[in-house]
Amino acid sequence: MMETTSSNLEVEARAGGRRTPLLSQRRFWRSVGDHTVLWLGVLFMLAPVLLAFLTSTHDAVTIHRDGLQFLPGDHFGETYEAVLFGATGFTGKATGLVMTFNSMVLGIGFAVGKIVISMMAAYAIVYFRIPFATLAFWVIFTTLLLPLEVRILPSYEIVQKMGLLNSYTGLILPLIASATGTFFFRQFFKSVPDELLEAARIDGAGPFKFFVDILVPMSKTMIAAIFIIMFVFGWNQYLWPTLITTDEGYYTLVRGIKQIIQVWVGANIPEYGQAMALAILAMLPPILVVVVFQRWFIKGLTESDK
Amino acid sequence: MKRVIFGSSWLPYAFLAPQILIVIIFFYLPAAEAVRASFYLENPFGGGSTFVGIDNYKDVLTDDNYVRVAKFTFWFSLLVTFFSLAIALLLAVKADTVLRGAKSYRILLMWVYAIAPPVAGLIGVLMFDQHVGPITDVAALFGYKMQIGVNYNDTAAAMIIISIWKQVPVNFIFFLSGLQSIPKAVREAAQIDCRSSWRRFWTVTFPMLAPTGFFLLIINITYALFDTFAVIDVVMKNEPGSNPMTLVYKVYLDGFRGSDLGGSSAQSVILMALVLLLTIFQFRMIERRVHYT
Amino acid sequence: MIKHLIAAGVLLASAATAAAQTKIELWHAMGGRLGEVVNEIATNFNKSQKEVELVPVYKGTYEETLTAVIAAFRAGEQPNIVQVFDAGAATIISAKGAVVPVEDLLKKAGVSFDIKDYISGVRYFYADTTGKMIGMPFNSSTPIMYFNVEALKKAGVTPPKTWEEFEKVTAPALKKAGFVPLAQSHLPWIFTENFMSRHNLPFASNDNGYSGVKGTKILVNNDAIKAHFTKLKEWKEKGFFGWYGAGWSDNQAPFEKQEVAMWIGSSGSFGGLTKSAKFEFSATYLPYWEAVTAKPTQTFIGGAALFALSGKSDAENTAVAKFFAYLTSPEVQYLWHRETGYVPITKAAYELATKDGHYKRLPAAEIGIKQLNLPAGEHTKGYRMGFYVQIRDVMNREYGRILTGETTVDAAFKAIEAEANKLLARFEKTVK
Repeated sequence: MMETTSSNLEVEARAGGRRTPLLSQRRFWRSVGDHTVLWLGVLFMLAPVLLAFLTSTHDAVTIHRDGLQFLPGDHFGETYEAVLFGATGFTGKATGLVMTFNSMVLGIGFAVGKIVISMMAAYAIVYFRIPFATLAFWVIFTTLLLPLEVRILPSYEIVQKMGLLNSYTGLILPLIASATGTFFFRQFFKSVPDELLEAARIDGAGPFKFFVDILVPMSKTMIAAIFIIMFVFGWNQYLWPTLITTDEGYYTLVRGIKQIIQVWVGANIPEYGQAMALAILAMLPPILVVVVFQRWFIKGLTESDK
Repeated sequence: MKRVIFGSSWLPYAFLAPQILIVIIFFYLPAAEAVRASFYLENPFGGGSTFVGIDNYKDVLTDDNYVRVAKFTFWFSLLVTFFSLAIALLLAVKADTVLRGAKSYRILLMWVYAIAPPVAGLIGVLMFDQHVGPITDVAALFGYKMQIGVNYNDTAAAMIIISIWKQVPVNFIFFLSGLQSIPKAVREAAQIDCRSSWRRFWTVTFPMLAPTGFFLLIINITYALFDTFAVIDVVMKNEPGSNPMTLVYKVYLDGFRGSDLGGSSAQSVILMALVLLLTIFQFRMIERRVHYT
Repeated sequence: MIKHLIAAGVLLASAATAAAQTKIELWHAMGGRLGEVVNEIATNFNKSQKEVELVPVYKGTYEETLTAVIAAFRAGEQPNIVQVFDAGAATIISAKGAVVPVEDLLKKAGVSFDIKDYISGVRYFYADTTGKMIGMPFNSSTPIMYFNVEALKKAGVTPPKTWEEFEKVTAPALKKAGFVPLAQSHLPWIFTENFMSRHNLPFASNDNGYSGVKGTKILVNNDAIKAHFTKLKEWKEKGFFGWYGAGWSDNQAPFEKQEVAMWIGSSGSFGGLTKSAKFEFSATYLPYWEAVTAKPTQTFIGGAALFALSGKSDAENTAVAKFFAYLTSPEVQYLWHRETGYVPITKAAYELATKDGHYKRLPAAEIGIKQLNLPAGEHTKGYRMGFYVQIRDVMNREYGRILTGETTVDAAFKAIEAEANKLLARFEKTVK
């Protein structure tokens, strides 16, 4: 890797982190432009989050009356303490820790389940000459077209009949029934060069070995991307868990947040500060996932295609 | 079409089985129930039901308001899809190009996606609040009186911007992963062949991104159509009033909120048929131009 | 040794009572502070006796709770008690065999029940044709008019009793003093449902829908209410009335910011206002049109009720009855009233609150109850219409369009009448 002699900066930076000292002026201005765009992007995306954090340090009445706050307030300790150590709910089972654990189980279970199942299905659809492959794809694909909210009553009935109410399986499985992952991996597998497969075949690799030893490692970047997306999706589930669990031991963070915000309007002032504080705290694990998995972004195909 | 090398054996079936099984149990069975319900008017608690044939469909399609909602849905989906893709693509390309701080940009740009949806909606609404929203204040500086919840267009704009804001990180992550998976050899070759980065992008990078792009196009349309109802709900504060709304929000209103199982099922069947047609069309027209290898 | 035996015996005994304890579940939609009070009541109830253990479960918004209970009921997993909001009550009440009427439940369990114990405006809202109580009113409130004391003083006016007074005296003076005279937070609830009740006008045929769903027609397209909305539109243009959309809080905020001088909200808004309003405020009755009636009548409640679901054992139903008896006891009602601002539903609780000096401390807290205790009329007990959530949405939509000038009052009420009647006809087919 180190002997890359290309004059290209990006490639070099990626390879070894060394930089050519001579930056032409044009390149400099282009890089300024790039950074400006990125900074604007970051501003657009993150300013509201920053405001949420600042706002979370104020008391509920201030937020209720004056909206978002641009300066830190003096309720930081109070609010965050209440959120971290106070238990919500009736039984006291739903502490911050329990809710974090449940959200974590949902996030990981959902992401892993979906990746495994959809990679397998996409592999079968793309790499095999089986009858009905197209049909199978459309059968899976159609699931994108009817959101869970619409089929929620019959879904509940099925989960109940299978005895999965108040269980992690019941929480996770029905959510996996959507085509995002399969569709995504299908797109990727289709763009993997055919030569690879031929080479593998010459080496005597069977379909299973090819999948496990070559295709899966090659998909690292893709897996990372979809893991982040799916983890957060699972992490943030609200409606389905609310519906199929009655045991407070299954409370998730988002449910905790909703319970704080949702107060019959006018009757009382919701603890906006606490809701935002909980949301800020609830962001940390997904961000950890992002930080961990974004490393895979730099590796992936760029290395393995050599 | 992929050059298929592996013949059939038990393997592909075994690989497909789990997904198909889950999809049938947790999607097609409930969906079939929704289709059945669309021909009935029934009490949700099961007190009684009447077979009404296609009356539910007729009621939906002859409703003036439904047409109004459909029109808004069209524009809403178009704008949300276009802008969330365009912004994310721009940011992903830039984040892929810069040398300094690439990692930090990546993390910062993915960050928002992690925020819990109800709070994301709350922040969005507070930004646009008609009394204390900072964006409303900025608009006032330019002499524009922005009134979310009262002015139809203002409300629509807020819904669209918040929806885009929530979707950009998803697209960013996927675009970036797509960019990163472009083989180095190709990048290097492109670097030599095309000096202009603009041309390089459109002749080399963009076609290489096409498979991901097509996936994202479909995903974003379904996002705009189906997954935005939480945003819409929070912007109108759970009181639709004369505010704009999308077709799925109407399904939610009638079915979820109003317990009209028959009517809302008919609406979702219509919606599903429309979107299915739209996607088949896209697969036919657009995917043909996508080169996979 | 004997000590050990005794200890064992005590253990056994306590185990036995634990086993004999009936566990009942309550699904509710009370978030935030309200949810905490519900939990407090449940904890107190569990401590107050040994036979029943009540487990309250928060199930999201009213809509989410209703959907959750529908899903559960269809699968036979329903809780013992569920909280259903006013506009959704027709769905559950009209479903044959879905609920055990509260009155039957209590009587069967040997709990004394007299509907006359309940405050008059509360009594029949969740009752059936014969006046039998089906759902137990839980969080109940009624629309009242709050006013900024300083603002009215500055303008040199007193809170208006009638809309005529508002138009001629109050509004011009308040406007001159630099205020938007009036705002309100829920047009269908305040200026439609309770407009009808305040003027004792029929809201729907079939005794406001109480005597069965068959052929029920909405009677909203009448001159009195059309005149009212024509005035509202006129007032909005004149600067007498501020309308900030259909959202509740958007209309309450300008009152809290002292831009609006009088605001019609819920009697339950009281608790929130005491925290958010940094000025002296008080409340008065919902005004009426003298031109429509010389004898204004009471309003009725909004909010939600508790329903006992069917398909449960007698033991569990008895347990539910015990909880209801506890819940309606004056002390608990007073606690609920004091902590949340919702009205107490029984006369005894009202008397207790009075005796305790609650209204001496907070006179505005009494207005809602007093208004519910005003003389009743034949059309003031409430309304019962199917798919009423959608009907409210239609009203809100058309009212919004009136006030933004997209439609006329006549066209709007024609549209509401047509769409509402279509919905009612559809609902009729769901209960056959």
